[in-house]
Amino acid sequence: MTIEEVAQENRAPVDLAGTEGGDARGRWAQEVMALARRWWIELLRERLNLVFSILQPAIWLVFFGAGVERAIDAEVIGTDDYIGFMLAGVVTFTIVGNGISGAMPLLWDKETGYLDRLMSMPIARSSVIVSRFVFQVAQQTVQILLVVVVAFALGVRIATGPLGLAVILLTAALLTMSVTAAFSALAYAVPQHGTFFAVAGFVTLPLLFMSSAFVPLEAMPLWMEVVARVNPLTYAIESMRTLVLDGWEARVATSLALLTLAGAACLALGTWQFRKQTGDRTQE
Amino acid sequence: MSAVIETLGLRKVFGDHVAIESLDLNIERGDVFGLLGPNGAGKTTTIRMLTTLLAPSGGAARVCGFDVATQPSEVRRRIGYVMQTVAYRGLLTGRECVEIEAALYHLPRRDIPHRAEVVLEAVGMLPHADRRWTTYSGGMKKRLDLACGLLHWPEVLVLDEPSLGLDVQSRHNVWGYIRDRHVGGATVLLATNYLDEADRLCNKVAIIDRGSVVVQGSPSELKRAVGAEVVQVSSGEPERLRRAIEAERWVKKIIAGEHGDLHVYVEDASIALPAVMRLGLEHGINLERMTYSQPSLDDVFLLHTGRELREVGAAS
Repeated sequence: MTIEEVAQENRAPVDLAGTEGGDARGRWAQEVMALARRWWIELLRERLNLVFSILQPAIWLVFFGAGVERAIDAEVIGTDDYIGFMLAGVVTFTIVGNGISGAMPLLWDKETGYLDRLMSMPIARSSVIVSRFVFQVAQQTVQILLVVVVAFALGVRIATGPLGLAVILLTAALLTMSVTAAFSALAYAVPQHGTFFAVAGFVTLPLLFMSSAFVPLEAMPLWMEVVARVNPLTYAIESMRTLVLDGWEARVATSLALLTLAGAACLALGTWQFRKQTGDRTQE
Repeated sequence: MSAVIETLGLRKVFGDHVAIESLDLNIERGDVFGLLGPNGAGKTTTIRMLTTLLAPSGGAARVCGFDVATQPSEVRRRIGYVMQTVAYRGLLTGRECVEIEAALYHLPRRDIPHRAEVVLEAVGMLPHADRRWTTYSGGMKKRLDLACGLLHWPEVLVLDEPSLGLDVQSRHNVWGYIRDRHVGGATVLLATNYLDEADRLCNKVAIIDRGSVVVQGSPSELKRAVGAEVVQVSSGEPERLRRAIEAERWVKKIIAGEHGDLHVYVEDASIALPAVMRLGLEHGINLERMTYSQPSLDDVFLLHTGRELREVGAAS
């Protein structure tokens, strides 16, 4: 194509009409899918990363099942199905881990300057975070299904059946919304990736131990139970654990509602932090 | 309204540091406008404000009639921004990078593959489109960035140091694409600290230094203001030569260059050349070499950024 043809084409520019309202939702979906495509291509090309991140939770479950199970008092955890008990914990553990590794591309874009390029485009400020969320839900759905298959092989039967599994995936997605948004907010707030990893490393273990991932709420000292009850992780775990061990109970619905609230709050925080950081960043 | 970019008293302060004092720019449709200045002059800060990446501390800026502070998304729709540093694009191929960005500009899905090919072709990257970004050379990465900047046929193309860190061949390639782009009718805003780049590409330049515009106009106007021509004389005794000729009517300015050269700015070199020779002979000064040329933006820069001016002031 000659430059005259390029110029010719330039005289018929993209239709800029309808910039208000109209097809705004369609454009937003297009942005989110384009960014998610970028994350997806990167993951598929990083074979080792792909293999390890998909397999990791299943391997944890095997370790817990083979090793720790024998040291656990069935009285304390309230069931003798320790692997079934741990399933929710391992899924949650995975979501938190994904949240940290999932914020890395954002840190990377910020530090290499590609974020500036993105921000100079007419995209919604929430698109970047939401695209990470969409991508991570897809990735961890595969991870969770694999964990469930491994658990099945180890003798765990989900009390609520296939529909219960669907609700487990929904619970996981809701928790992912909180975790992704919170770690994204952190990634945008920190001056450098070093701070991100320091803070993320500092909060991750307390977040997990101050939840019911390893110990049921009833078995905790009072102070710990108080902390655990305001921890969104606990609600995800309680919902998933109930679905695995007990069956359909009202607290599943309560947990899902609370998780939705927490997710919305974190998303608002993340978008706000993103706007703040990208609205007036100092010169590099 | 013909002004595509208009700033009035645009100002940016970082803490106590005044990065941009007060900037008035007026860039018209079809201009290739150069922001010229040394590193740290405020070029990138200006560009970041005009591309809505940085909120101004004061004053106002409009791009295509939209205010950068209050209507940023309208501005973003109309600009193509090519950053100073090459954008990191990980494990993607060139084509994937361009297609993803095309979707981010909301081009209709069915047009994206074709449009991607057109812009890749326009910068000569189509043959390399399906290689991974990581295998590209610096010049190829820059051209890919340029292709992405052209995707939505922006009304304004904003280029921050488009040839920084490129070899001569790649620089000439990139210049070629910018000139071609201008044929396409877009307005181009270009920041650079390469004087020859501004001279070759721009029909208007603003020289900025320490956060304000020192002078602006077309390169030829600016050069005319320096003097019509420059006579460059090497001699063993530049100071004596200067004293011998500085009182002459045809001398507009004298700047001592490095290596004992004198740059003599004159109206007409055909009169000045024999006169310098005669005065040299009369004073018994041995002239080693003498050339004359049109002033370059280098001379404009010397004259307006102050540092070299002091030498002139001290001597005349």
